[in-house]
Amino acid sequence: MGKTYLGEFEELVLTMVGILGEEAYGNAIVEEIKQRLDRKVNLSAVHVTLYRLEDKGLVTSDMGGATATRGGRRKRIFKISNAGLSLLRDLKQQRMQLWELLPQLKFGV
Amino acid sequence: MKSLPQPPQWAVRFLEWFCPYLLFESVLGDLLEEFDDDVEQLGERKARARFIWNVISFFRPGILLRNNFKLKIIDNIMFNNYFKIALRNIRKRKLYSFINAFGLSIAIAFCVLIYLFIKDERSFDQFHKNKSDLFVVARTSYDAWGGEPTYEHSLYQQLVLGPQLQQEVPEVKRIARFKSGYTGVLNFNNKSFEESFGFTDSAFFKMFSFPLLSGDIKSIFKNPDEMVITTRVAERYFGNEDPVGKAVEFDFGGEKRLFTISGLVDVPPSNSSLQFNILIPMENHPSYEWQMQNGWRSFSTPTFIQLEHGADTALVAKKMEQAVEKFVKDDQDQERKELNIAADIKLLSYHLNNIEGMHMNTKLAWDNSSDPQYSYILAGIALLILVIACINYVSLSLSASGVRRKEVGVRKAIGAHRNQLISQFTIESIALAVISMIFGFALVFVLLPYFNDFTSKQIHITWGNSFELVGLIFLLALFIGVLAGSYPSLFLSSFKTSLVLKGSNISKLKAGFTKPLVVLQFALSSFLIISSLIMYKQMEFITTKDLGYNNELVLVVNTHRGYALRNNGLVEKMRVALQGVPDVKLVSGSNSSFGGGWNMMGYTEDGKNKMSYVYDVDPYYIPLLDIEILKGRNFDPDMPSDSNAVIVNEALVKDMGWTDPLSEHLNWEEDEASEGARVIGVMKDYNFLSLQRNVEPLFLKEKDAFLNYLLIKIEPDNIPETIALIEDEWSKVSPDKPFSYSFLDDDVARQYDAFNKWMNIMGLATGFAIIISCLGLFGLSGINALNKTKEIGIRKVFGAEVFNIFILLNRQFVWLAIISFLLAAPVAWYIMSQWLEKFEFSIELGWQMFVFSMLSGLLVALITVSYHGIKSAFTNPADTLKYE
Repeated sequence: MGKTYLGEFEELVLTMVGILGEEAYGNAIVEEIKQRLDRKVNLSAVHVTLYRLEDKGLVTSDMGGATATRGGRRKRIFKISNAGLSLLRDLKQQRMQLWELLPQLKFGV
Repeated sequence: MKSLPQPPQWAVRFLEWFCPYLLFESVLGDLLEEFDDDVEQLGERKARARFIWNVISFFRPGILLRNNFKLKIIDNIMFNNYFKIALRNIRKRKLYSFINAFGLSIAIAFCVLIYLFIKDERSFDQFHKNKSDLFVVARTSYDAWGGEPTYEHSLYQQLVLGPQLQQEVPEVKRIARFKSGYTGVLNFNNKSFEESFGFTDSAFFKMFSFPLLSGDIKSIFKNPDEMVITTRVAERYFGNEDPVGKAVEFDFGGEKRLFTISGLVDVPPSNSSLQFNILIPMENHPSYEWQMQNGWRSFSTPTFIQLEHGADTALVAKKMEQAVEKFVKDDQDQERKELNIAADIKLLSYHLNNIEGMHMNTKLAWDNSSDPQYSYILAGIALLILVIACINYVSLSLSASGVRRKEVGVRKAIGAHRNQLISQFTIESIALAVISMIFGFALVFVLLPYFNDFTSKQIHITWGNSFELVGLIFLLALFIGVLAGSYPSLFLSSFKTSLVLKGSNISKLKAGFTKPLVVLQFALSSFLIISSLIMYKQMEFITTKDLGYNNELVLVVNTHRGYALRNNGLVEKMRVALQGVPDVKLVSGSNSSFGGGWNMMGYTEDGKNKMSYVYDVDPYYIPLLDIEILKGRNFDPDMPSDSNAVIVNEALVKDMGWTDPLSEHLNWEEDEASEGARVIGVMKDYNFLSLQRNVEPLFLKEKDAFLNYLLIKIEPDNIPETIALIEDEWSKVSPDKPFSYSFLDDDVARQYDAFNKWMNIMGLATGFAIIISCLGLFGLSGINALNKTKEIGIRKVFGAEVFNIFILLNRQFVWLAIISFLLAAPVAWYIMSQWLEKFEFSIELGWQMFVFSMLSGLLVALITVSYHGIKSAFTNPADTLKYE
């Protein structure tokens, strides 16, 4: 298999899965993105992305506990996999390297 | 306590419907969670709306496809397995697979051929761009001579009708008369061939979609000496050159005339009712002037009209009648008086038939029409053969099920669902159907040329229709696969695991389902066997019947004399010239050859109108054809007075009620004063018409002027040399005309072409049906042998002979075949006696034919079932009884 690439939204969702840890499921991710980035995202888009990430082996999922507000439905809890984590790290590293190459902006007096 | 707000249930159900099962729970959970939040923040109404919106937003490829994808993974694996097993089974049981695939391929091929046939029939005349406005004028008229109304709608109209209609009926936009079937000799650059040609009007090319490849449609046929030829003719004389503008010599009336080629068209497609090679303007017709002046009682020419778009055809027909009325009123009044019928009885009515329906309309008396019944019968046969092939598949799969029992047992034991087994067996049958489809398609390719021969059609598989065919074949294969596979798969999947694995034979095959089917199959085959046999016998009877004259070894040569060369004594010259050729026995002439048209003449006897066929002949005609003279004598070449004498046949004597025919005269002239021609002889009735018709009144008169055909009786030895010698003499006597001949017996046989064609198709269908039915019987005998395995084993242990076992197994098939036959025989008898009624001369339906058909059917059946019989009879009982 070749190198895995991630889209911007995929990267965002993957990061959120990592951040939320044990509490990473569809709605929580939507809420987290809304609160931290002030960005409204669609629940279905998050779901689709999560499944796609699962297909790529970057996250794993398990059925979690049910809560009353969910009408007794269990959550599908996503967990970032080692591959996902290392991909995020790689991405960060690459960004940093590229950032280094960017000419430092100087404010003129 | 107030109940908690609920999201719309239909949205939940919708989500459940499209959302993959594995994801549904968590997705709905998330949605409900958000719904609760929304209720708190936005209120129930808005929350419900948002819920719906959210559900809808989940209806997206990322979710939907996942649905299929997940399912597909499971299915793919199973499908691959089923497919592998299917192929393995097909390969392992080669004989069964072969028989099955063979039967199905034949059925598919046959269906496709019939489909092509029917499609071609239906496509007739559909290619004209303005077909909805094109009509052919049909006429119903009273037969003036017989006095009986004829209800046939004749297409042959007065030559003057068309132009008259164009003048008087405003809705008529264009007219074109079209009269074909003439032959002439075309001469260009020393190349000279006999060509068939027709007369038509200039509007022909504007009305019909036979586009001019070369030439100007606006000016075409402005001059009467113009000619339009097809590419087929052009190639013969001009190769690849453009023939337009070239002058050719054309001789169709015994007189050479120059014509300028002003148009080139493609050869008319085979599905066109209008066929032509060469067209020249109508004005060239020899009796054109006369017919245009006085021709209201002469019906000769099909007339096509193009109406203004959307015109009311009923109204136009009415106007047509009024327009004609003016010209024929006096004539008709007189006719009514002659016929002694009331003045208000209509003698003539016109109606319009759209050309789209012309080909399949059997009511129209038109050479190129075709009975749609043939199409229906063929479609029925094709469908029956398809059903029979499916039945075979069912019975063969069932008979093979013994082998599959253990597989089914094991699959079930390890947890296969019944549905899965059903889909497995269905996939198997579809796989087989697909294989048959490939073979079937190949068969179509192989058989198509023969089929075209049989049906005198020119059907081709092109890129255009091949996609359609592949689609059709694919549908057929799917249909067969599902239909034929359903019963076996239901049956096979119903085996009880425990019983099967114990090796018990308890789920016994019920042959009860297949027995009636096999009877049906065999009844159909018997029917086809009997019918083909009867048709064959009838054809044999017709072609070998003593016709009352001898048509063997008679050459028929077209003299191409036409009108201008009427009196050049060509026949006499040839007679003299051929005296030196040793193998020429006799030379004679006639105005018409058998099957090549005839003249009829009316005469009055005791105030009654009668009608008779009449041939112009010379004194050598009767001896040449070995016609027997019962009374009186033949024409005598040395007696000039014989030119006003006739020889009549027995039918005419009977029709006239003459007791002493030799003292009678036949007055066919219009003037009452003369006595008419003297009867000098009575000849024995001979079949000068097709044997579908009785011997009608006929008289011969001696007239050299109209001897259009040369009849030459030759010796049976050295035929090619004799013909070459005759041709030599011909080129001396008539150097400018090509020598074209046929044998009289061939001409006579050609009258039965349509029946021959039909017989060929029936023969083909019979062959297919027999093969396929035998396959079915083979399957059933397999089931039977399977069911009796243990019985046979026990019998053998107790000392039964192989022969006894063979009888035991096959007794019932003999019964089945007899029952089928008894069902089929009366139907065949009824239908075939209807068919034979079309012939005035036909064979008797004797019991021998039926017995013969039955015995041959039985023989085929016995040969078919003997495989399983012998196989079972020789099986070692130790193998079949080892589980007990």
